[in-house]
Amino acid sequence: MSADERRDDQATPPSGYSVPEESDQPDTEQEDAPNPWDLQKQEAETEPGERTTAVTFEPEREGEEEDDEFKWHTGKATRDESAESDAVEFIDVKKAFGRNTVLNGLNLGIPEGQISMILGPSGTGKSVCIKHMVGLLYPDEGDVLVHGESVPNMRDDDLFEMRKKFGVLFQDGALFGSMNLYDNVAFPLRQHTDKGEDEVNEIVSRRLKEVGLGGAGEKMPNELSGGMRKRAGFARALVLDPEIVLFDEPDSGLDPVRTALLCELIKEIHEENGGAYVVITHDIMSARRVAEYIAILWKGRIVESGPASELFNSDNQFVRQFLSGEARGPLGME
Amino acid sequence: MQRYLVAPRDWIASLGDIAKFAARDFGEVFGLRVFRFFGEALRQAGVLILGSTMVIWSLAFILGLQCGIEGAYFNRSVGAPAYAGVFSAWCDLREIMPYAFGYMMSAKVGTGLVAEIGAMRITDEIDALEVMGISSMTFLCATRLLASFMVLPFMYLAAVGAGFFASYLAVVQQIGEVSSGGFFLIFWMFQNPPDLLYSLIKGMAMATVIVIVGTYYGYTAGGGPVGVGTATAKSMVLNTVMVHLVGMLGTQIFWGANPRAPIGG
Repeated sequence: MSADERRDDQATPPSGYSVPEESDQPDTEQEDAPNPWDLQKQEAETEPGERTTAVTFEPEREGEEEDDEFKWHTGKATRDESAESDAVEFIDVKKAFGRNTVLNGLNLGIPEGQISMILGPSGTGKSVCIKHMVGLLYPDEGDVLVHGESVPNMRDDDLFEMRKKFGVLFQDGALFGSMNLYDNVAFPLRQHTDKGEDEVNEIVSRRLKEVGLGGAGEKMPNELSGGMRKRAGFARALVLDPEIVLFDEPDSGLDPVRTALLCELIKEIHEENGGAYVVITHDIMSARRVAEYIAILWKGRIVESGPASELFNSDNQFVRQFLSGEARGPLGME
Repeated sequence: MQRYLVAPRDWIASLGDIAKFAARDFGEVFGLRVFRFFGEALRQAGVLILGSTMVIWSLAFILGLQCGIEGAYFNRSVGAPAYAGVFSAWCDLREIMPYAFGYMMSAKVGTGLVAEIGAMRITDEIDALEVMGISSMTFLCATRLLASFMVLPFMYLAAVGAGFFASYLAVVQQIGEVSSGGFFLIFWMFQNPPDLLYSLIKGMAMATVIVIVGTYYGYTAGGGPVGVGTATAKSMVLNTVMVHLVGMLGTQIFWGANPRAPIGG
């Protein structure tokens, strides 16, 4: 089954779950049954001057609770013609922690050669996605493929080998506290290659310089600011020239200027090195700056995914609300 | 009734988890996979030597002094001051040194392991290791176990030596009711090389349990800094219990049926 076929399969609901036939574009195509949010908006518009209360939940309709829960999830996945095959694919992935279902039939492809962003409200399973890609978590159901190989079915040795394809930037850099910056960045090279110290030194110095930490090699992680730790983590993630680089909320805890600089850095290094970059964030400004491909995750499923330009012009009200950062819309505080 | 069974059930589940963890850890060491990270094992050995040796030897020396003093005065009170060496031989070698070693290992090394590895867990350092294609279990836990096997036997034997020396000082030099030759005559009569080996086995069994428990609670820590603190406390409690359990079993097995001493013909 090809990746495209699998994405098409998203339209096929998992057992026990049904999607109305006409629900592909709930906000534009359901003329007979306009969605409640549209009704609220109309009411608000037709009674100017009157005090209205914004209500973001939808009225319950008997037997349709589950349909309503995923009514914005069109599963639409479009691609640029230039897009290559998928580097990572999620196929009907379900993951629960106790009673809390985090991924609920996730279908997603991460295109090769592009900077992809997985966006979504807090607590929707974005970081859980990353952990599935590198085999730190396994799905309860479904499959995760990296370059066509099933991660959950790999033996430990193959898994460790596969992970060498990845570079991961964790939220706080995850630098080893017992090593200085230089040794942190050199660590993967010393463990996985037979390079001599001169060559290691050349690579580490180049990577540190790229992220603007050329003179900080002797510093310990606790002597660095949050932004420096992230950049150092970025240098370490890149040091083995990985084919796939994952960024777990690279903008968290950074001021807007440093976030912008980090985004520029991600773009520059991607242009230089290529590969599939996956950025997890809920920061829309970062998405506008660097994303070539966007997938919006909510309630454990992809609402919509596609080229950034398309997503920013989406008709889907959830997508529009999220990407414009509006308070009013389908997404509430629940 | 059910609620009274919750805690024991959790303990049993934890012990099962620790046993599985220990089996995996031993598998990494005796399967020789740990030698991929021999450099890290050597570094950990260095940390053990520099961080714990003097503390353990100092404690052993002080306890050796106490054993000597108590033994000398007790033997004088029963009219057999020449037999003060019995106390030094038995007290130091069979019980006090293994327990002192166990307590210090629990307090210094065991809690240190939980805090260090637990902090790595909550700051994603362990995940970072894994995604670099490095087995965190081998790199963090098996290297520390190997380091303890490399260093602790020598540290233990030297601690026993420190205790013996302190007892000699207390009995012969401080109290002085027995000559040096008289002290050593009795001292060596009441112990032989197998006793030293048994004592070493006791001490190393305690040390191994402590390293396993420490690495387990660190490796499985969660819930932020509070979780690491809780894990540290739990490891200390379990290690204290295990030190006594291993001590009791060791004494029963090695000397329970045969005192291995020239007593009663």
